[in-house]
Amino acid sequence: MNNNFIPSPAKICEIIHENEQISTFRLKLINTSIPFSFLPGQFLMLSVPHCGEAAISISSSPTALPIIDLSIRKAGTLTNAMHMMKAGNQVGIRGPYGNPFPMKNFVNRDLLFVAGGIGLAPLKSVIDYCLFHSNSVHDAAQSITLLYGSRSPSDIAFQSVTSNWQEQGVNCRLTVDEADTDWQGNVGLVTDLLPRHNVTDNTTALVCGPPVMIRFIIAQLSAMGCQDEAIFTTLERHMKCGVGTCGHCHLDGKMVCMDGPVFSLSQLKTMDVMELAQ
Amino acid sequence: MIDLKELILSKDNLIPLLRKLKKDARLIAPIKNEYGDTLFSEIDDIDAMKIDLHNQPQASLKPFFLPQQETLAGYTVNNGEYSFTPPDKAQDTIFFGVRSCDLTALLYMDLIFSKPSKDATYYDRRNHSLIITLGCNQPFANCFCEATGSGPYLEYGYGLQFIDLGDRYFVSAGRGKGADLLKKWAYFFREVNEEDQKKRYQLFLEARGQFTRNIQVAHACQKLQEEAVPEEIWETLSRRCYDCGGCAYVCPTCTCYSIDDMAQGTNHGIRVRSWDACTSSGFTRMAGGHNPTDRSRYALKRRFLHKLKHDYAHHGKPSCTGCGRCVDICFGGVDITTFIDLLTTQKTT
Amino acid sequence: MTNSIAELEGADVLLVTGSNTTETHPQIGRNIITAVDHGAKLIVIDPRKTDIAKEAHIHLALRPGTDIALINAMMRIILDENLADDLFISMRTENFIALRDYLHRLDLDELATITGINRTTIHEAACLYARSSKSVICYCLGVTQHTCGTDNVQAVANLAMLTGNVEKKHSGVDPLRGQNNVQGACDMAALPAVLSGYQNLADIDVRNRFLAVWGREVPKAPGLSLTEMTHAGINGTIKAMFIMGENPVLSDPHLNRVENTLKHLPFLAVSDIFLTETAKLAHVVFPAASFAEKSGTVTNSERRVQLCHQAIPPIRNCKPDSEIIMQLGRRLNCPGMDFDTEAEIMEEISLLTPIYGGMHYDRLAKNWGLQWPCWNRDHPGTKFLHKYYFARGKGCFTITEHQEPYENPEKKYPFTLVTGRGSYHHYHTATMTRKSRRLLREYPEALLEINKEDSDKLNLRDGETVELASRRGTVHIKTKITDRVQPGTVFSSFHFFEVPINLLTLDAMDPKSKCPELKICSVNLRKVKHD
Repeated sequence: MNNNFIPSPAKICEIIHENEQISTFRLKLINTSIPFSFLPGQFLMLSVPHCGEAAISISSSPTALPIIDLSIRKAGTLTNAMHMMKAGNQVGIRGPYGNPFPMKNFVNRDLLFVAGGIGLAPLKSVIDYCLFHSNSVHDAAQSITLLYGSRSPSDIAFQSVTSNWQEQGVNCRLTVDEADTDWQGNVGLVTDLLPRHNVTDNTTALVCGPPVMIRFIIAQLSAMGCQDEAIFTTLERHMKCGVGTCGHCHLDGKMVCMDGPVFSLSQLKTMDVMELAQ
Repeated sequence: MIDLKELILSKDNLIPLLRKLKKDARLIAPIKNEYGDTLFSEIDDIDAMKIDLHNQPQASLKPFFLPQQETLAGYTVNNGEYSFTPPDKAQDTIFFGVRSCDLTALLYMDLIFSKPSKDATYYDRRNHSLIITLGCNQPFANCFCEATGSGPYLEYGYGLQFIDLGDRYFVSAGRGKGADLLKKWAYFFREVNEEDQKKRYQLFLEARGQFTRNIQVAHACQKLQEEAVPEEIWETLSRRCYDCGGCAYVCPTCTCYSIDDMAQGTNHGIRVRSWDACTSSGFTRMAGGHNPTDRSRYALKRRFLHKLKHDYAHHGKPSCTGCGRCVDICFGGVDITTFIDLLTTQKTT
Repeated sequence: MTNSIAELEGADVLLVTGSNTTETHPQIGRNIITAVDHGAKLIVIDPRKTDIAKEAHIHLALRPGTDIALINAMMRIILDENLADDLFISMRTENFIALRDYLHRLDLDELATITGINRTTIHEAACLYARSSKSVICYCLGVTQHTCGTDNVQAVANLAMLTGNVEKKHSGVDPLRGQNNVQGACDMAALPAVLSGYQNLADIDVRNRFLAVWGREVPKAPGLSLTEMTHAGINGTIKAMFIMGENPVLSDPHLNRVENTLKHLPFLAVSDIFLTETAKLAHVVFPAASFAEKSGTVTNSERRVQLCHQAIPPIRNCKPDSEIIMQLGRRLNCPGMDFDTEAEIMEEISLLTPIYGGMHYDRLAKNWGLQWPCWNRDHPGTKFLHKYYFARGKGCFTITEHQEPYENPEKKYPFTLVTGRGSYHHYHTATMTRKSRRLLREYPEALLEINKEDSDKLNLRDGETVELASRRGTVHIKTKITDRVQPGTVFSSFHFFEVPINLLTLDAMDPKSKCPELKICSVNLRKVKHD
C-alpha cells in the first residue's frame, strides 16, 4: 500500500521574482522515474522543511513537464519560509490533486480569463496549455482574452509572461487599483474592464482571484448573458490532506480538494459558498 | 459437523478463550482503572486486570485506528536535501467487548479512509485487527443507537458478536477472521439450541424497549434533506459552543484531522497527524487570515449537517451512531441531541 | 466555595459577578447553563458582554469598579421591599442595625448613577435574587482584584446574609478558584498570615504544635504578600527568592517594578516546567515535573481534595516539586525532609491541619476524594459550609462604602482598561497553552477589545495595531472591534509575552488583602502608523 502522505523530493531549479510578494518556483522531481502528470487547475501539496504542507496550484502547463511551476505569495509561515529557499534547495511535493478545468470543453471557444493578483497562477496553466495547442486543428481555442487586475503597478505579477502572451495573440488587458506616476494603462478594478468586453454564446469564462472579486465578476458575467455552465472558477480553501479526508475544505457536502477546486457556476449554485454570498 | 456461524460460549470459558487469543495478538478490552474509569486498554496480565463489560467505555475505538496523534512520516534535511521515511507498522490486535455503536463507527471510518485510495496507516491498523463486539442488553444513560440504526445488536461488520444470555454468550461469527477463530477454538464452544435462540430474540426485544432517550434522528435527517435549518437554531447553538472540541474528540465518527511537521532537531523531524475539530475557527482560517466560516453564527453547522444531512445523502444513513458521548462532554449543552430536538420540535412554516 | 459545584444546578437564582465563567471555569459554566435550562434565573454583573452575560436574564453592565455601590443599592431595595430574611438575621448574624441604618442613608438615584445602570434594572435584579430561597452567588477575580477587593467580597457576603441565602444546599457564596490547585495552595498556607488550614499564626498553641512536629520555631510575624515581595525594589529587604510555578514577570502588576526587583536580587531560584520569562532571570532553575509526571493531590474550588496518579515517568532530569523541596531542605539541614511517599506527606498534613484531619490516601482513593472540613477518619467531608454556624460564630455585617477606583479616566488617559482571560484557549501567561499548536492556532496573538463607537472616533480598523499607554508603560496591541465592551472601556488579556499588558496595570493594593488592582487602570490609545 502506498503511503498517501509521503511526498517526493523535488529540487528548486530556478526562482522567478514576480513582485515583492510573489515568486515562481521552478521545480523538478529528484527521482525522474516517478510517473507524474497533471492537467491545468490541479494543485500539489507542497512540503517545506519544518513547516508542514500547503496546497498550491500548479501555474505551469503540463506541456512544460518535467518542469513544474509553483507561483507562491507570502501569506503565512510556510509561504514565507518558501521565499527564503534558494535555487538548488529541495522541497517535497505530492499530488496532483483536485479536478482540473475541463480542457476538452474549451476547444473552439472564445476564452475569457479574469484574474486578480495571485489568482492568475492556476489560469496561467490553462493559457499556456491552450497556446501550446493553438496550432492544432482539434484542440485549439477560438480566441483568448485576459483581464488581469493588480493592486498597484508594482504588484503586477507575471509581467514577462503576459507580454509574451500578447505576442502570441492573447488579448491581455491589465488594470491596477491605484496607479503611480509611471503607469500608462488602465486604472480601476477588474470589474470595470469587463463591461468593455464582448460576451457571446461562444464565450467561456474562467475566473480566479479574491472571493469578493469572484462574486462581482460572476454576477457581471451572468448579467451579460454568459451561461452558468460556461463560467468556471477555482476556489481556495485551507487544506491539509488533498485526498478528501481531513475535512478542512469541506464545503456543504463537497470536498474542495476532491470535488473542486474547479467548479462551474452551475455547480456552485447548488452549494452554500461565500464566493456567491449576497 | 457443527455450524460455525453461531455457537454458545459458557461464561466460565471466556477467560480461557481470551488467554488463548492473546497468544497470537495484542488483546484490547474495556478495563476499569483505579479511578473507576472504563477505557479500552491493552491487557498485559489477564488475571490481574478487570475487564468491565457493565459500563460504557469512555472513549471509542477511534484512538486505536486514528490515534489522537500519530507519526505519518519522519523527515530529514541535510545540505538542502530533503527525504522522508515511512512510519512503524501495525501489529495484530484483537478488540474484545466493543459496543455496536463503536463498531458501526469503525465501519463508517473504513468508508471515509478508503477513498480515493486506502489511507496507509489507517488500513494497516485495520487490516491487522479483529473486532469482537458485545451486543447491548441495557442501553446506557445517553444512548440512542436504535434511532441511528447502529444497535443495540448488529447484523454484520463484526469478527464475532457476543450476546450475554446470563450464564453464557451467544456468539455469531462474521466473515473471514471471525469464523476462522471459531473454527480454531471450537472446543471452547457448544452448539446453539432452540432455547438459546429464543432467549437471544427475547433479550433483543427487551433491549430495544429500554432506551430512556427518544431522539428523532430519522425525522431530522429527512427534514434536513428537504429544508434549510432556521438561522435562529444555528445562532442559539453557536452562542453556547465554547470551542473546546470535546464533541469531535469523543465522537467515534469525527475523523477530521490536521497534519503538522514537528522539528525534532535542526535537521530532522516528524510529520504528525492529529485530531482536529471543525468547530474551531482556526480549522478553516486560511494563511493570511481570511476565514470562510463565521464561527459566531455557524460554529456547529458543519458538524451537524455533515453527520445528519450530507452523510445521510451520501451513504443512506447518518454518521452519528447514538453512542451519547458528546452529551456528557459538552460544556454548553449543545450536543447533537439538542440540535435534533430543536430541529424536530420546531413548527414547520 | 461554600457550596458543592453540583449544587449550582439546583439553584433557582444564580448571581454571577466578576466571572467570565464559561471561558475560565467551563465545567462550572456548564452547571450554570444546565440550571438555566431547567428554569433558573441568571443575573450577571460584568462590565463586559461575556458569553455567560449573553445567557443572563438580567445583565448588569456596571461601570468597572462600582460593585459596592451596586450591591448596596440592591440591599437597600431588598430592605425597602421587605425581602430581608429577618429570622436568619436575628439568629445567625450580628451588627445588622448598623448596616440597615447606613443603607437607609443612601440615595438610590445616586448609586444608580455611580454604577451606570438604571434603577429599574437594579430593582428587578435585587427582587429576583431576594425572592428565591435558593439563590447562589458565584464570584471571581473581577470582584477581588481591586483596591476595594476585600470590601467587594464583604458586600457580597452582606447581600447573601441579608436574604438568608447561605448555609443551605443550592444557596451560598462561591468564589471560583483559578488553577486546579490554587485552593490547595491557600489551604497549605501559601499566604502570609496563616498556617495550614487557615490556623492563626498568632496562636501560640498552633505554633507549638508545628514546633513539636517540625522541630523548628515557626515565625511569629506574618510574612509579605506577593506584590510586596515582587515590588520590593533594588534595596528591598529580600535577599533571595524561590519561585515555584509562577511567572510574575508577566502576571504581576506594574511589570517594570517586578523586573527591577527580580533582576537585582542577590539570589533567585525558579522551579517551573518550562523556561518562563521569570525563569530566564534566575540564577538557578529547577526543571520541575508536570502534573502527569508525579502523584499527589489537588484541591479544587469546592474544597475537594482529589488524588492524582503519575501517568508517565518524569522526562529527563525533571523532578516533582516535593522532591525539589525535600532535597533543598536536606541541604539546608532542615529535619524531617525525608518523606518516602506522597501518602506520608499527606499524613503530616492531616496531623497538622484540622480541616484535613481525615484526609488519608486510602480514603481519597475511593470515589472522588473528600471535601474539607473533614475532621477525622470517620468524617464524611462537607458538601456545603456554614450550616448552623459560621467559622467565626455569628455572621458579621460590615458596612462597605463605595470608593472610586484608584485611577479614573481623565483627559490624558480617557479609557478604562479591564484585564482578564482573553479566551477559553489560553491560561494565565500561556506558558503551557502556547505549547499546544491547536490552542495557539485558535488564539494566536494578543487582542484589545474596543467598542465600535470608540474605534470610529479614533478612526481605527479592526485588526489595526495601536499604542496602548498608561502612566506606567506602553505596549503595542492589535484591536478587535466588538460589542463585548462598553464605550470608554477596553479589554485585554495578559497571555502574551509580546504584549506584556501588566506593564500598564496598577500596583495599588487593597489594604487588607494586599491584592493589587489588576483589573482596571486608565489608559490612552493612539493609532500607530505601520501595522
